Amino acid sequence: MKTRSNETAPENEAAATPPPDGTNPGAHSPFAGSRSPLAPDSAQAVRRSLAARGIRAFFGSTALVSLLILTLITIFLFREGLPFFGASQREIALYRQAGLEYIDILRRAETGHIGLVRQLSDIRLRAFQHFVETGHLAVSDANARLAAFDNFADRFSDAIGPVRGLVSDIGEAATGIKTRAAVENDKAIQRQQLLDAGKASEAGQIKIEPVDFQKEIKPILDTLPACRDALRSTADELRAILAAAPSFDGRSLAARMETFQKRARAYIAALPGIENELSGWTPSEPVRWHASIVSFLTGREWITASFWQDWYGILPLFTGSLLASLIALAIAVPFGVGAAIYTSQVAARREQSLIKPAIEFISALPSVVLGFFGIAVLGELLRSLSQSPWLDWLPGFPIIERLNALTAGCLLALISMPTIFTLAEDALTNVPRALREASFALGASRLQTTLRIITPAALSGIISAVLLGFGRVIGETMVVLLCAGNRIAIPDFSAGPAVVTQPVHTMTGIIAQEMGEVVRGSTHYRALFVVGMTLFILSLAINYAAQKILRRYRLPSA
Amino acid sequence: MNFQTQRTGRHARESIVFALLRAATYAILLCGTLIVGTIAFKGAPVLFKPSFPFINTTFLTSAPETLHVFEYDGRKMELGDREYRAFRGKLAADAAANPHSEIRIPHSEQSYVYSAGGIFPCIVGTLFLVTGSMVLALFFGVSSAIYLNEYARQNAVTRLIRLAILNLAGVPSIVFGLFGFGLFVIFLGWNVSLMAGWFTLAFMVLPVVITASEEALKAVPRGYREASLALGATRWQTIRKSVLPYALPGILTSSILGIARVAGETAPIMFTAAYVVRDQLPWQVAKLGDFLFQGVMALPYHIYVVSTKIPQNEYTERVQYGSTLVFLILVALIAAASILLRNRLRKKHQW
Repeated sequence: MKTRSNETAPENEAAATPPPDGTNPGAHSPFAGSRSPLAPDSAQAVRRSLAARGIRAFFGSTALVSLLILTLITIFLFREGLPFFGASQREIALYRQAGLEYIDILRRAETGHIGLVRQLSDIRLRAFQHFVETGHLAVSDANARLAAFDNFADRFSDAIGPVRGLVSDIGEAATGIKTRAAVENDKAIQRQQLLDAGKASEAGQIKIEPVDFQKEIKPILDTLPACRDALRSTADELRAILAAAPSFDGRSLAARMETFQKRARAYIAALPGIENELSGWTPSEPVRWHASIVSFLTGREWITASFWQDWYGILPLFTGSLLASLIALAIAVPFGVGAAIYTSQVAARREQSLIKPAIEFISALPSVVLGFFGIAVLGELLRSLSQSPWLDWLPGFPIIERLNALTAGCLLALISMPTIFTLAEDALTNVPRALREASFALGASRLQTTLRIITPAALSGIISAVLLGFGRVIGETMVVLLCAGNRIAIPDFSAGPAVVTQPVHTMTGIIAQEMGEVVRGSTHYRALFVVGMTLFILSLAINYAAQKILRRYRLPSA
Repeated sequence: MNFQTQRTGRHARESIVFALLRAATYAILLCGTLIVGTIAFKGAPVLFKPSFPFINTTFLTSAPETLHVFEYDGRKMELGDREYRAFRGKLAADAAANPHSEIRIPHSEQSYVYSAGGIFPCIVGTLFLVTGSMVLALFFGVSSAIYLNEYARQNAVTRLIRLAILNLAGVPSIVFGLFGFGLFVIFLGWNVSLMAGWFTLAFMVLPVVITASEEALKAVPRGYREASLALGATRWQTIRKSVLPYALPGILTSSILGIARVAGETAPIMFTAAYVVRDQLPWQVAKLGDFLFQGVMALPYHIYVVSTKIPQNEYTERVQYGSTLVFLILVALIAAASILLRNRLRKKHQW
């Protein structure tokens, strides 16, 4: 009887004062006591009570759906994503066993050299321009004056020859080992599948010859003396070439040549380090257990479908997402918070009823439409604007790429603005009236009250609004996919504020772009799910932080 | 005297700051207006015609086709794929009939996919996706809200549910897409289908619908419930007869904003429901059971495809701006309806 009367009691007052569950329902519900003598203890009443319980259970179970979804999201992201780390670990182990790692160490000497050669050709281009444009030389004369430089550049560029030859020779051997290991691995999987299907005889026909890495890697390891010789001879030759480097008269060219020489010397000085690394390298050294996690979290490269080695490093994507989001917030926070302050504190009622629906309307603008606008209009608009001479002083102007972090950031700002505005406006409106009135009573002006009393009082709400706006933009997909330029590289922060005009790729963008094309179950596919996991965890963390700030610094309600 | 100058200085500062804040506010609105305005300006010639029936019905009622641009008889011709084939067929027949005439069969000089014809399948697909997911979201959302507001007590489970709703609201849409792909498309084997899209989208707007419905339920005065209970009605009767009817307008209006969001999302349906191109319309299925398990073309995804996969020029501009404008109008109608409805209901239901 007690439970049933509890069932019918109005529990919406629980919101105000949580009743001690079922201990003394009569005290809380005036209906409970009167209902029990009226209700006949018949089969009908039991049926009714059962029905009430059924209905309650039905609603309760639908309420659990949200919890269920959150759990399912976690489960399925992890289910598809977590095997990535195992697969990646195996790939890294094979990378070492097949000697690819060894060659990549040697290749560092080559890549460093390529950078230097590129710098040389840049200097040549500038020198040529200098001679032709400011020196008014004919093209042939300018080329003649650069003959000594060309000779120097050619010799410098050829000096890497021995190293390059070695890299390509042993590179082939190493990829050969890797391919063989992959083939054997596929065979093993096939046999296992046949065995699972109960076809033992067919499975027996598949012969697996495990790759003897120690034997296979021997020829590669044997090249160590040759590598050493190549590195040393290259270093000696470069040193000799540098000693006879030509010089320029022009100041800026001379300075460039100076930097080049400095960099070249640093490069030569680093070559013995590469040599040491090569001699210290052992293929049998086990890969550390966290190698795949480290390479995912700190990897600076996201290379897929490569013939050499795939790398799944989240860093370029993460920095790209962060850069675009920060640009967006830099624009959205002043505007959004400013508009919130204006609307809640200054605007008249009529104006409020114009602004609020208009901003809600902006929040309903689909992101793909904004993305399209960016690709069709804004990108080109910003670029042509950046080419106008009176904006030359701005960093990064004129913009080279039409689609870049700035284009995406501007549109993301518009996406986060309604979130920031609505929540900040709520926070400002909910500041107790008493504070405002007290401030006025003390003789403060409207401006002082708004900026020194109301805004600081609502600060926790504003900060959490900004955080949620940040969560909104970092999870936004279509705008960045369409407008951010999709270049997978860590933005070059050495460019200073001009970094905002570089094209970037983002975590959300990479999932949307590559998910449709990957082979289900491949490492690449799993890597995309791990990126999704990262986003998921990030969004939960942002949400948590926003709630925490809101709770921690909330004013006691008046 | 001194007092006077101080006052005016203060006033000047105040009005400058307020003017700045006001400028910021209207700058936001201006940006929104400019974007919508550009799209409307460029898209309107595609969608509307100067003569009767004033609306470009071909664009709205036919499927996308490849556009062929070529020169014939010194004129520049632009034909959709079907017309182009018919045209060439006719020329070939003519040439066969009188072999001595100098009829040249033109070769398509340039062709642009999706740039001719219309976007009918995309509109249909979007409508199907939105309707289905909204039914699901309303069902789960309103029931959850009823439980949370009418039945539940403040205990650990309720707090957990509320926490889940709060967190679900912040999950990026692409993560919902991944989740839908992992659960519905792969694990449950529904493939790329309407069903998978429905559930993915419905789960994504669920937090919005729950929050909106709870607000609406809370707005119904307690007296309504107490009176009903006092008359001997059961809790369910009370909810059904004296709470829901009054909360329903509020629930619906606020949820419509959720619909606008569902209609606008592309990321969750990219790998769960949307096809780049599909010849059959959703109702052209062999058996009824296939209906739920077919992928559809959707307007937002179509916009993504036509803005990235084909170049930007005068020929492709039509389909790009046209689809975007149609889509905007669709979303705007939904959003405007909800805002108007809410403002009206606010006046009507004042307790």
